[in-house]
Amino acid sequence: MNILLVCAAGMSTSLLVSKMEEAAREKGWDVQVKAVPADEAKAHLDDVDVLLLGPQVRYKLPQFKQMGEERGIPVDVINPADYGCINGRGVLEFAYTIKSEEAGSR
Amino acid sequence: MNRFVSVLEKHVMPVAGRIAEQKHLQAVRDGIILAMPLLIIGSLFLIIGFLPFPNYSEFMAGIFGEQWLNKLLYPVGATFDIMALVVSFGVAYRLAEKYKVDALSAGAISVSAFLLATPYQVSFTPEGASEAIMVGGGIPVQWVGSQGLFVAMLLAIVSTEIYRKIIQKNIVINLPEGVPPAVSRSFVALIPGFAVISLVWVVRLLLEMTPFEGFHHIVTTLLNKPLSLLGGSLLGGLVAVLLIHMLWSTGLHGAAIVGGVMGPIWLSLMDQNRQVFQNDPQAVLPNVITQQFFDLWIYIGGSGATLALVLAMILRARSQQLKNIGRLSIGPGLFNINEPVVFGMPIVMNPLLIIPFILVPLSLVVVSYVAMSTGLVAKPNGVAVPWTTPLLFSGYLATGGKISGVVLQLINFSLALAIYYPFFKIWDKQKLKEEQGAGTENARSVVA
Repeated sequence: MNILLVCAAGMSTSLLVSKMEEAAREKGWDVQVKAVPADEAKAHLDDVDVLLLGPQVRYKLPQFKQMGEERGIPVDVINPADYGCINGRGVLEFAYTIKSEEAGSR
Repeated sequence: MNRFVSVLEKHVMPVAGRIAEQKHLQAVRDGIILAMPLLIIGSLFLIIGFLPFPNYSEFMAGIFGEQWLNKLLYPVGATFDIMALVVSFGVAYRLAEKYKVDALSAGAISVSAFLLATPYQVSFTPEGASEAIMVGGGIPVQWVGSQGLFVAMLLAIVSTEIYRKIIQKNIVINLPEGVPPAVSRSFVALIPGFAVISLVWVVRLLLEMTPFEGFHHIVTTLLNKPLSLLGGSLLGGLVAVLLIHMLWSTGLHGAAIVGGVMGPIWLSLMDQNRQVFQNDPQAVLPNVITQQFFDLWIYIGGSGATLALVLAMILRARSQQLKNIGRLSIGPGLFNINEPVVFGMPIVMNPLLIIPFILVPLSLVVVSYVAMSTGLVAKPNGVAVPWTTPLLFSGYLATGGKISGVVLQLINFSLALAIYYPFFKIWDKQKLKEEQGAGTENARSVVA
């Protein structure tokens, strides 16, 4: 599964990337995580399964939701507490939850 | 205080969201980003050109010849001095992208429109003459650099709006099927491009008949000066910082939102300093408030100057939660990234911690402004130090190697620590109580 993380400059989400990949390795899941600045996100959408926004750019949610709907990618905002504690496992599980919810709703 | 937070959430956040989502502001912000790496690269050469070592200039001249500085600064010219040209392309490109029309063509048309608004005349003083004459056939660096930023942005928006409207109305030359798509795509841009260029041309001809002479003079007179006064004053700085931190208090990226509006102003103020510094490193620089002023002296450790708070957590936290947040935050914090503190402690929506979070940067603005405008501390010299540069290094580099810039950073850091500390203690105590409370409850349940 490919997860795309988006924030203002792609800096703070990049902290999460390694933590999420570490958590995925522990679980034996095949996951690739990438962090990009919001204005570059569009160029990466082709091979993405889930898109997560940092809470500080949650005002961009409507815009990204629309982009996600066009491509069938679930989009949501990361829980601030998980974000602050760089809780890689929590965010990873969240990504799986919204992905499977998306699949279930079809 | 709780009401304050709910007011922020209810009224400030939607407005902020709308501002941040405004297409043109977004395009301006994202378009300027195109120029930033260039400015940082140019800054590197600028720093090397003016390293503050004794006898440095003589040493370099000994190795590379008398003209070493001129040659070293070639890249500075090719980065800073074409800022508006790059921005003109970037803004149009990003805006066209939002309208889902061919961004590359929109960018190219915008650059052309911008140059059409710029008279190809440079002033030149012939040897032996006392007065400069205007010579044709050159692109004036004066206007394609920071001074032309506003014209570039305005024309990028106007030209892209015209371009996309005509395309969306489908007033384009459609070639029959069978013509290669690449060929027919270049024909699609013909009519809208022609419309944009003709319009700018006609407006320029009209303007040349007025006392304003051209686009650039109008914008300098009507827009540049008032905006720079507003954005370059202490009051302007305080208002911007207040807004940024109120937005962050609700968890929104204030710097990214307010920066869309203030960025161009702070960028051109910064470049004014660079031009003065480059001509004479000893000269008094015109502006205190620039992009660097905020990035390097106010946001020490990220918005809210939270590096001081992180240090307090590492040294003095007694609750487990704050100890952990401190350990998580120190690494990114040294590079001025502070989301772990803001969301993890948390500061966001936290009535207690929002007080120092807003108070600290406001105090730092006042202290730094006074220190720099009285000449006690060197002003930023226009070098675009990346905002991720760690404390002390950044103050040294951005002032052209003045120790006073470093000292002010240390003073600001201590001041931030002093203001944060009592609030930190209260929060830490509360967290500790919660943890111990949870601990005894657990113990009780084990006994039961």
